[in-house]
Amino acid sequence: MTDAKTLIDETVKSNDVVLYMKGTKEMPQCGFSSRVAGVLNYMGVDYTDVNVLADDAIRQGIKDYSDWPTIPQLYVKGEFVGGCDIITEMTLSGELDTLFAENGVAFDKDAADKIREANA
Amino acid sequence: MSVTEEIRTALEKAFSPSELEVVDDSERHRGHAGYQEGGESHFNVRIRSGAFAGQSRIARHRAVHAALGPDLVGRIHALSLDIGE
Repeated sequence: MTDAKTLIDETVKSNDVVLYMKGTKEMPQCGFSSRVAGVLNYMGVDYTDVNVLADDAIRQGIKDYSDWPTIPQLYVKGEFVGGCDIITEMTLSGELDTLFAENGVAFDKDAADKIREANA
Repeated sequence: MSVTEEIRTALEKAFSPSELEVVDDSERHRGHAGYQEGGESHFNVRIRSGAFAGQSRIARHRAVHAALGPDLVGRIHALSLDIGE
């Protein structure tokens, strides 16, 4: 593996929830990254954010790692979960709650319900 | 052929969809990263096809990416996909 892939592999396997995004969770630089970070922030999930704009090798490397052409990308317990469209769908369907619960990731269920109510 | 037509043609060929909408949403992203004059940078695709039966969300997205091909995917700044059976 390249250095970037090795680093990514270590990052996603040593942190329960990792979001590769453009910008940071406090200051996203893209609407799609912002949407996913916003969901995780609102649900009170403790996650690691990696700003791909800060490192070109990671920006390309993460696409190769998952064989997925776009950013953001969410990982839970080392597994790639999806990008913005998939995370949005899983949030609204409740599948994201289930995924977090099954993996022992703490989150605010009431907040998740509020997101669903607001988008019903 | 416009990018919109390229997307439409590739998806029709790969999936024979029962429903297919390809919307150039670029104007809504004017001033954002990736916007280019003349549009054709941001797309919303809604596709329904029996070809996606039994596939996970990730598999469906991967199938669409593969059908479009790396060249076309590389030219699009943002692609929002709504995929179903």
